[in-house]
Amino acid sequence: MLSIIVCIKQVPDTNRASFDPRTGAINRASAENIANPDDLHAVELALKLRDACGGRVTAISMGPPRAADTLAEAYALGVDDCVLVSDPAFAGSDSLVTGKILARAIGKLGRFDVVVTGFEAIDGNTAHVSYQLSEFLGLPHITQIHDLMIEDGHAVIERLYGHEYQKIRVELPVLLAATRNTNRVRAPRLADLKSCTGKDFTVMTMADVGGSADEYGTAGSPTVVIGTEVFAHSRGREEIRGTTDEKVEGLMQRLKKHNILRY
Amino acid sequence: MHDYDFGLSEEHRLLRQNIREFAEKEIAPYAQDLDENETFSLDIVKKMAAMGLFGIVVSEEYGGPHMDYLAYCIAVEEISRVDGSHGATVAAANSLGIGPIYYFGNEKQKKEWLPRLCKGEILASFGLTEPEAGSDAGASKTNGKLDKGQWVINGSKIFITNSTSEMAGVCTVQCVTGTKPDGKKEVSCILVPNGTKGFTAKKMHKKMMWRASDTGELYFDDCRVPEENLLGKRGEGFHQMLSTLDNGRLAIAAMGLGGAQGAYELALKYSKERRQFGQPISTFQVNSFKLADMATEIEAARNLLYKACMMKDAGIPFGKQAAMAKLYCSEVMGRVVDEAVQLHGGYGLMKEYNIERFYRDYKLLTIGEGTSEIQRIVISRQIGCYS
Repeated sequence: MLSIIVCIKQVPDTNRASFDPRTGAINRASAENIANPDDLHAVELALKLRDACGGRVTAISMGPPRAADTLAEAYALGVDDCVLVSDPAFAGSDSLVTGKILARAIGKLGRFDVVVTGFEAIDGNTAHVSYQLSEFLGLPHITQIHDLMIEDGHAVIERLYGHEYQKIRVELPVLLAATRNTNRVRAPRLADLKSCTGKDFTVMTMADVGGSADEYGTAGSPTVVIGTEVFAHSRGREEIRGTTDEKVEGLMQRLKKHNILRY
Repeated sequence: MHDYDFGLSEEHRLLRQNIREFAEKEIAPYAQDLDENETFSLDIVKKMAAMGLFGIVVSEEYGGPHMDYLAYCIAVEEISRVDGSHGATVAAANSLGIGPIYYFGNEKQKKEWLPRLCKGEILASFGLTEPEAGSDAGASKTNGKLDKGQWVINGSKIFITNSTSEMAGVCTVQCVTGTKPDGKKEVSCILVPNGTKGFTAKKMHKKMMWRASDTGELYFDDCRVPEENLLGKRGEGFHQMLSTLDNGRLAIAAMGLGGAQGAYELALKYSKERRQFGQPISTFQVNSFKLADMATEIEAARNLLYKACMMKDAGIPFGKQAAMAKLYCSEVMGRVVDEAVQLHGGYGLMKEYNIERFYRDYKLLTIGEGTSEIQRIVISRQIGCYS
């Protein structure tokens, strides 16, 4: 029986949102709040693991009270318990402090075997939190997961690492970070969507997590945003000229140079 | 929150969000190919079934999620936003396939059919239209005669959705079962399982629209089913049909609304990307006004449909609003797809761009489940023009 924790975050849907062209800031009113896409892959990974090995999945989310909507979605997908970590003192926390808060909250939930997170969130795109959380919890941190099995207290993980597969074996507990390449997220059943909004969840405040206000929020966060810039990506066009052999050779050289072909 | 979720519950908002995601991921990428090749995708239908899209309003005891009609229409709207064929499969399965059995079936019939229909193991169809009985449903000739405890059915039906695929399990067939004391036809509905001897279902090809949906011609040739397959009471078939169509109109309206929304979004996106005379064509006032009109009409259509659904869910008579919503939403989609293709210019005529599929799919909506003209008759009667 595995005890599995999955971390999820509510984010503005930046793929559909509009941005202030001058400051680069997101126009919050234009964006719906959704579950962070990578985190849904984390939930899927957790549920598959539970269904294969037995156990319970607890979803945990740090955020304002409205993040409860995202926990309801986790219920609809099939998690067993939900925890909302929410306190005004946590507002403005950077990724490091978020990792600390989540680690402390998870520590209070009791024994666990696996912690699953999304690799990165689409609002900040720092991809810091899963690494920082693994440091605070003292867990091995595994990314680029392709396949996963649990045997004899170990996780046997197949990773797609660059252009190679790696198979690794690691003792539990462990932290796994999921991306859209990890799996395909199930669609929730209508019956579960109907019942999910009425389900109870646990709320943890600073009093439950421990620590003091000066450790959290803006006050406790070492990160300072000194400015934001909008990057414009432009694609360059390159023409490879010559005979067919020369064109093939030219293409091969470029593919090797960019490490797409290695041998 | 989308502004059109204003006033809706969290349950409805979540439903829309999840169905939209499902539709964009599991249906949209395949829609154009399935349409081109006239393919009814069992794979997608099974995925829709697993999600619980068949039997949306059916109560839990028969295997449904027991959501309200508004939820059902939001589901149809969101699927039709990416593809009319799959919107049609869901709408017909719920309103026409499951509806009559759920609302008029006896306990035994409901227990026999609904759980399998809700799981999506099989699909049910509704055999009403005949080659010579369209708007004039009273002219139907298919008849059922009782003989040794069995109905013997003879006749044919046409344009029947979800009736021929390997998932087609049962058809509610409207039959003339006798003459009433006043000389009028006695009409009854009889459940005929696919595969019954004497029942042939033939897939219809070369449709202009909904090409990835399953449409059939049905033939009954001394087809025998047990007397107990009668749905409800003998002679109630006409009433059952009218009630089924009232409900069905809401779903057709949802298809018009969703299709209009999808076409409008395609047109808006294209107009912002397409540059002519050095600027995006959406910034020419002649085009921006078209888009503004589309958005306005869609907003009005949505409010009308949702109101009709809320009236039904509240148990208030909603026949007039259902006819208005069906009429208006389908005609709004017509105006939207017309201008949406116009905004796409020459590219709008090419199959490479999804908009031409919306342009074709729209046309059923002013014809099926009561033409626009029939809706106007229903409305004009209700507002008292003839009394």
